[in-house]
Amino acid sequence: MMPLSSERYTVADMMAAQEFFHSRNWTDGLPIVPPTAEAVQACLDWAMLPPDHLVGVEPVRARQITAEKLAINSVMAGCLPMHFPLVVTAFTAMLQEPFLLHGATASTGGCAILTIINGPCRQELGMSGTFNALGSSDRATTVIGRSIRLALGNLLDVRPGDVDRSTLGHPGKISYCVAEDEEDSPWLPLAEERGVPKHASAVTVMSAGAPRQIMNEWTTDPAQILDTFVAEIKACMRHYSIYAGNYAVIFPPQLRTHFAAAGWSKADIRNYVYENAVVHRRDWADCGKGAVVGSRGDTEYRALSEPDDLLVVAAGGPAGGFGAVIPPWFGPKSKACTVAVGACVDCEI
Amino acid sequence: MSIEVLDPTYGGGAAAFALAPRLGTLKGKTVGVISNGKRGTRPYFAALERMLLKEGAARVVLHTKSNYSAPADAHIMAEVPEWDAAFVGIGD
Repeated sequence: MMPLSSERYTVADMMAAQEFFHSRNWTDGLPIVPPTAEAVQACLDWAMLPPDHLVGVEPVRARQITAEKLAINSVMAGCLPMHFPLVVTAFTAMLQEPFLLHGATASTGGCAILTIINGPCRQELGMSGTFNALGSSDRATTVIGRSIRLALGNLLDVRPGDVDRSTLGHPGKISYCVAEDEEDSPWLPLAEERGVPKHASAVTVMSAGAPRQIMNEWTTDPAQILDTFVAEIKACMRHYSIYAGNYAVIFPPQLRTHFAAAGWSKADIRNYVYENAVVHRRDWADCGKGAVVGSRGDTEYRALSEPDDLLVVAAGGPAGGFGAVIPPWFGPKSKACTVAVGACVDCEI
Repeated sequence: MSIEVLDPTYGGGAAAFALAPRLGTLKGKTVGVISNGKRGTRPYFAALERMLLKEGAARVVLHTKSNYSAPADAHIMAEVPEWDAAFVGIGD
């Protein structure tokens, strides 16, 4: 067995471990699980990865992200060994060049890494895509999301005021992971729609702003329900960024019922939003941004460059006509990436 | 009972870049400026160019990145060896 290469420190006890890690700015402010060699090795064994396995290279700073270092941060976040392959997969996706990880995590725009889980691993790991789907719905999504943030800080210096230059950030930076509610959905899972084989587990990552909640309980017409989502997207384009990018939209069961009854697929939703989420530059004038309208007031801007840029996700508790729009970090700069668990993204077929 | 813990940080050493030696004078020098392209950079770098030329620089070369969140484009980096000094870095 290849030995772990990370430097080792001895601390007096559990409480001393907390102060040791906090004092070095190695945490997010919450308590951590001390990353012992045994716990880290258990993660690596579960994922069947040697410590020096190269998960990927962050292209801007040329930093090599190894399985050992990810495992240490995953243990700290509270991961059990069975959670670790999801963290590896998330980082594999985040390190794809179109994701532009450095830009997304360094930007003043303050996005977080939204992580969407699909496939049988959700049930194996006890993930829940129902009640409180976007906020600590279960242990697995919470610790996987936290692992990502801790690893960004400790491996890429994405800490407030260091590489992370966010003006505000948002609470999703602590953990921003959701499992799609595939069992109670009439639709194809997100990952399958994005090319992952049926029944494979997969992770989709997106550089994302905070969720913007909507509500429409006064119609059963899919088009009218989507008009509420579109209005929120257009508000985001006017108030935040007008440029097209990946948006995620979250549909709870109460709203999904109406789409199922009317026979609307995720593709129908994507096409509707693509056609209708449109604003003009002049729309900036009535929200305090008239100074940058200039002579291009009639220029049209779409929220989506193409329908497939919309990530449609089934999640949420059984009651309530609440949905969410999750906007992109900043237009098209970072592309959402989907990777199957266990897939080799560099292998030639 | 004591606990042995592992270091969670990268630990891969310093960044690959080091600052170039400071110029003794601007006179006759070519100075490159790599802008991230944000709106506020235009008047800022225009003023910087005037200042550099006033201080004796022979030439100021201004380039703008195609994506302000990504590294400078390859064609810009290819030109850098021809400059005596460069202005780069974050800015908003």
